[in-house]
Amino acid sequence: MRYRVKTGMAAWLLHRITGLGLVVYLILHINVISSLHDPAGFNKVMAFLGSPLFRFLEIGLLAFVLYHAINGIRVIWVDFFGGSAQQAKIFWVLAVVGLIIFILGAIPMIQHGVHGLDAGFIHW
Amino acid sequence: MRQPGIGSGGAFDWFFQRITGVVLFAALVLHFLFLHYLNAGQVDAQGVWDRLQHPFWKTVDLLFLATAIYHGAQGVIMNIRDYFHKPFWRLVAVSAVWVIGLGLLLAGAMTIINLRAPNFFRIPAPGEHPLN
Repeated sequence: MRYRVKTGMAAWLLHRITGLGLVVYLILHINVISSLHDPAGFNKVMAFLGSPLFRFLEIGLLAFVLYHAINGIRVIWVDFFGGSAQQAKIFWVLAVVGLIIFILGAIPMIQHGVHGLDAGFIHW
Repeated sequence: MRQPGIGSGGAFDWFFQRITGVVLFAALVLHFLFLHYLNAGQVDAQGVWDRLQHPFWKTVDLLFLATAIYHGAQGVIMNIRDYFHKPFWRLVAVSAVWVIGLGLLLAGAMTIINLRAPNFFRIPAPGEHPLN
């Protein structure tokens, strides 16, 4: 059997993959925040997570969250508001919206990664 | 006929996954607005602690936590239903998801309401109480 990968199926598969990734993140996140009772330890963990590797991973996290959230809107649109006939078109319109939000979000994240948090946010 | 390990038809789960999805979307917008836009800067223990003192944030974060865990657990269970075909292993996997989910809910809620939370992956020093 061969699958013919079309927009809808790729969107569904990516929703699964990003969803499972976010579950892994949620588990790690709850664990990190639960070290809050030990302020020194918490700040040490935060400093560790401020390293370039985690800054890079964080940009990946933004991509995962954005994809899952925006494709989730498309799923609801298709399921409840009669979007099924145009689902592929809706996917590509929302993909452009998502890409713009991703770029707007990733630029300050990269700036912070390169110049440190004192760099401040870029002003549009 | 219902088979063991399969559970309900999943219509409620399917519907509620969309409801919780919308709630999480709203929480995400709030999170980005307050934590990364209005209050951008260094995340340190004092800052997070101060914010968690406010009843509004306690309520929002508890709601966010419970919704995220439900949505995540349900998402993993949907995967299990698709790929685990033996009723026994399905039951084992689904049970494991709920046990882990409840543990995370407990740890997260304890952090939010200022109790000491166990840090699952940290090995306690000799003589140290694991909940310290």
